[in-house]
Amino acid sequence: MGPDRLDRFLALSAELTAFDVVELAGTGESDAYLATVDRIVGTGAVDALLDAHTAISEPPGQARDHQLRHSMLGDEFLGPLARNVIKLWYVGIWYQLPRSWREVNGARDGDVTFTISANAYTQGLLWPAVGANPAGARAPGWASWTEPPRLAKL
Amino acid sequence: MRFPTGAATRTDLETAAERTYDAVVIGAGVSGAIMANELSTAGKTVLLIDAGPGEDLTVKGYESYLETFYRQAVKDNQSPYPRNPNAPMPRSVDIGPVAPGQPETSGYLVQPGPYITDTTYTRVLGGTTMHWEAKTPRFLPEDFEMNTKFGRGADWPIDYDELEPYYREAERELGVAADVDSQREIGLPFPDDYVFPMHGIPLSYLDQVVDTGIDGTTVELGGERLPLKVRPYPQARNGVPNPAFNDGEGYRPVGAVGTHRTDEGERCQGNNNCVPICPVQAKYHAGKTLAKALQTGRVELLTQAVASKVHIDPANGRVSGIEVKVYYDPDDPAHETGMITGHTFVLAAGAIETARLLLASDLPSTSGLVGRNLMDHAYLLNWALLPEVAGTMRGTVCTGGIVDLRGGGFRSGQAAFSVDIHNDGWGWATGAPYTDLLHLVDDHNLFGTGLRRDLATRISSQLLLAFMVEVLPTETNRVTVDPAYKDQLGNMRPVVSMTIPEYSMRGVAAARQVSKLIFQRLGAKDFTRYDPADPSYVEFDGEGYAIRGGNHLAGTHIMGTNKRNSVVDANQRSWDHENLYLVGGGSMPSIGSANVTLTLAALCYRTAKSMISELN
Amino acid sequence: MSDTSTNNDTTAKTDDTTSTTAITTIEALHEYLGRAMQLEHATIPPYLTALYSLHPQTNSAANQVLRVVAVEEMLHLTSVANLMNAVGGQVDLTAPGFVPEFPTYLPDGEEDFQVNLACFSPATLETFLKIERPAAAPDEARRLMPARRRTDIMVTAPGDPELRYYSIGEFYAEIERGFNYLHDRHGDQLFSGDPTHQAGPEYYYSGGGELRRVVDIDSARSSIELIIGQGEGVGTGAFDAENELAHYYRFEQLKLGRYYQLGDEPHHPTGPDCEVDWSAVYPTQTNPRVGDLSGFPELQETAVSFNRFYADFLALLTKAFNGEPELLIEAVPKMFEIRNKATVLIRNPIPGSSATHSAADPTPDGPMHAAPTFEMESQ
Repeated sequence: MGPDRLDRFLALSAELTAFDVVELAGTGESDAYLATVDRIVGTGAVDALLDAHTAISEPPGQARDHQLRHSMLGDEFLGPLARNVIKLWYVGIWYQLPRSWREVNGARDGDVTFTISANAYTQGLLWPAVGANPAGARAPGWASWTEPPRLAKL
Repeated sequence: MRFPTGAATRTDLETAAERTYDAVVIGAGVSGAIMANELSTAGKTVLLIDAGPGEDLTVKGYESYLETFYRQAVKDNQSPYPRNPNAPMPRSVDIGPVAPGQPETSGYLVQPGPYITDTTYTRVLGGTTMHWEAKTPRFLPEDFEMNTKFGRGADWPIDYDELEPYYREAERELGVAADVDSQREIGLPFPDDYVFPMHGIPLSYLDQVVDTGIDGTTVELGGERLPLKVRPYPQARNGVPNPAFNDGEGYRPVGAVGTHRTDEGERCQGNNNCVPICPVQAKYHAGKTLAKALQTGRVELLTQAVASKVHIDPANGRVSGIEVKVYYDPDDPAHETGMITGHTFVLAAGAIETARLLLASDLPSTSGLVGRNLMDHAYLLNWALLPEVAGTMRGTVCTGGIVDLRGGGFRSGQAAFSVDIHNDGWGWATGAPYTDLLHLVDDHNLFGTGLRRDLATRISSQLLLAFMVEVLPTETNRVTVDPAYKDQLGNMRPVVSMTIPEYSMRGVAAARQVSKLIFQRLGAKDFTRYDPADPSYVEFDGEGYAIRGGNHLAGTHIMGTNKRNSVVDANQRSWDHENLYLVGGGSMPSIGSANVTLTLAALCYRTAKSMISELN
Repeated sequence: MSDTSTNNDTTAKTDDTTSTTAITTIEALHEYLGRAMQLEHATIPPYLTALYSLHPQTNSAANQVLRVVAVEEMLHLTSVANLMNAVGGQVDLTAPGFVPEFPTYLPDGEEDFQVNLACFSPATLETFLKIERPAAAPDEARRLMPARRRTDIMVTAPGDPELRYYSIGEFYAEIERGFNYLHDRHGDQLFSGDPTHQAGPEYYYSGGGELRRVVDIDSARSSIELIIGQGEGVGTGAFDAENELAHYYRFEQLKLGRYYQLGDEPHHPTGPDCEVDWSAVYPTQTNPRVGDLSGFPELQETAVSFNRFYADFLALLTKAFNGEPELLIEAVPKMFEIRNKATVLIRNPIPGSSATHSAADPTPDGPMHAAPTFEMESQ
């Protein structure tokens, strides 16, 4: 997989998660997540997802969101893949694809719900998104819990 | 705290079987570790037998528990601890759908039902304190006199004042962090100059939001008006040492256990993961006491050893030996069997395993109460969304709660309860935050900024109130054994029959009303719903509730004043077998609405003292 | 940060109040203590960089050693702040030049070497061993050595940049002599500082060492001895009186692949195996600069934002050391946040870069990774 492809995967992921590319790469999981999606649904399907994303040309805003929903998130084939990418970044888990997707496109080897790795869990972006730490990892420090949470301004 | 290198494997069955120990202790959890430490410090030789894997407690081994936890897609309260078919443990995730009239057998506990509990205990070195939350409230004085005061349940043969000095010993050993004044306020007497080893763990921001919101709220129970206030829980967790402890001697927190010097004496870092494992060992676990006991040089540890039968000398009823099965590999049933002998025997395997062992040994029992009176707290979960972001998912799992309803005259009619404010949000009830993510992505069709924003507001404003409802001893709530159900080593599995008594269900119903009142005062949206298909679903008075297990098991070798009304005496000595002690929660005649570990630790200190003088 | 174990005389010498001292005025003592704070802090960025360069869930041994040493350097920093406050000095961690530019010189007994901001590697470990290595002046006359080279931050004798101490241990011994000398002259007047500025044990603990309030000559001496003992070791063994292993020996465990246990002779640990995986490391850019990231605005902004956060952290500590010790509680979560921010940088490869290492160096090749630059002046 060329660096190019990884860059496109990160650009897609940044749009889907609202975390920037440095934050995503800062988890140390970029390669592992792309490899996971490639392994389970095949590089062809991933390329289709990346192409669909690259093809969206609108600048950020309602029109772009509309396009994202129409050509990607609301696509019967690509939508579940895109949603799984979101879940990977947020909690480090590959969730088994929906039954409807599997029935139409065929079950894929390895398509079961699992945590990518111990690190993937500890780097889940859900927790920074809610001003917390993944339970059991990246502790915030003594007495930090007495203060109101700090949530990123979006 | 240094664990002597090789201590977990130094002895073997053959060697151990040749010796006669002053004391043979079954189970290296908190009770067994305290007994071993006290007895060996007094110069006695001890063989400590544990069913769990035979590895030294090392930092690396501990980290492997943590890594196992990280890797699980479903992080239940036993998830760090690998499966061991030779010494299985109950896991909530194992409980399958239950067909009416059929027993639940897919979990380790065999449960005829209809009520199925998801209660657990942990069979590794350190026992259930590896996964416990480490809340350490004392029992109230009235909890020891339930019958006298309220005409309910049973009195203990000892009272609070008798146990009080041992509570202090337990608080020292477990390293309890609490402010004594906050404990006096709820009616607990302490010596005038007493302070806990460490200052209290500060309340979470979430606790503060709830406390502000319910300020001035009272509830009426049994004709009394009782105030609601958020108060801190005492916790066995490293915080800030109190220099005034022990007449100004201060307290040195006990750090991580390992075979080399780690110098990790961590203060709690707010990992929000006390259950099922504290990553930095700020939380007390019995490995800390176990390491200390092993350092005396008089304790031998026989691991991967499951006690399978207690042998009695029929002439005098004394225990003559304990048969032990030692396995080589958790996945392989191959094992050797041997007989361990000693002057005294201590069963400290937890309320269910200790009873299971006694019943599987088919010992005579004058009272017939072995395995009966099984108690566990009945937990009622209530969950809501606060109208503001409250910082949920931060802090220890629970820093504060409402404990004003633990005692009062209303206990003649209904169970008492305490209320935990869960800093880990709805996790216990709904599987949050994972389920929230799935819901927002798959159902609300959110992505990007919208998803991030809704995740933050939804998760950071979660409030889960866990009501810990008292359960009284009931003879039909019991552990039995059945040769039809055995584990891989051929040991009979525990068969557990439990129903939630009406007295407790009245408490449950009141708890639900109190939660509604609290949510109303807070302006919180109530999301609570109990699924009739839940194997722990109970109907009462036209309403249905899911009752979760509390992992606070007790009562199965109940303590009392004579051999007909109880299994053990006030020193936890078996009435029927002079040289046999049954220690732990199983001895308790009541559990009030306090977590049981501190009290069972206090009982062990008292028992150790009497055993030592007996052995001398 | 050196060790006196090779020379038993040193320990006795520290208590000898009749020896001559270079510190004869309170102003000189302030200057020495200012240097000491700078020195204690200067090791923290290199230790943190090495610590956070370890791959997660690997290198448990190195992780613990580096973490505990870094935490104890924070303790030493705070202890020196207490000493400074006790004698009415000014603590300012935000002063220009307080944070050195890397690479930087730190002194040791026999040769000068530079300390880099670099990922964990055998070479980095060698540097750390040099920082903490046993090195005691062979005799009183050589306590002060001619400086061979000007350094940015080093244990030169304040007032005479041409002289420097044989080791950091000697430097602290000098401070202790200064305390003794000035206490003889001024009595308890020496401790003129506001006692409410002292940070007490409630603000720090780990497995080893306690934070002490400095209010008199005894507490001053015991604070200095704690610093010498933890960093450098005292006496003849690897362990100190409290059975704590000095930093040098902690690092040496990683080099020798074996843990020390109580009773071991220096350089001959006999405890359990201590495993290191040199390849499970992010190969970070050595002595990185924000300017190097000009082609990558997001990454550069992240590096700048780290430095801003670190500068704010030092400002918070400065406030804490100037009369608001309770702010140290607030500083704890900030340290954990520094960890989060550092790891984000370190896990980001610098696009288009490559790092190749000699066959002898087990650090993985591949793109070079970003790392915190700890450039404070650029704020």
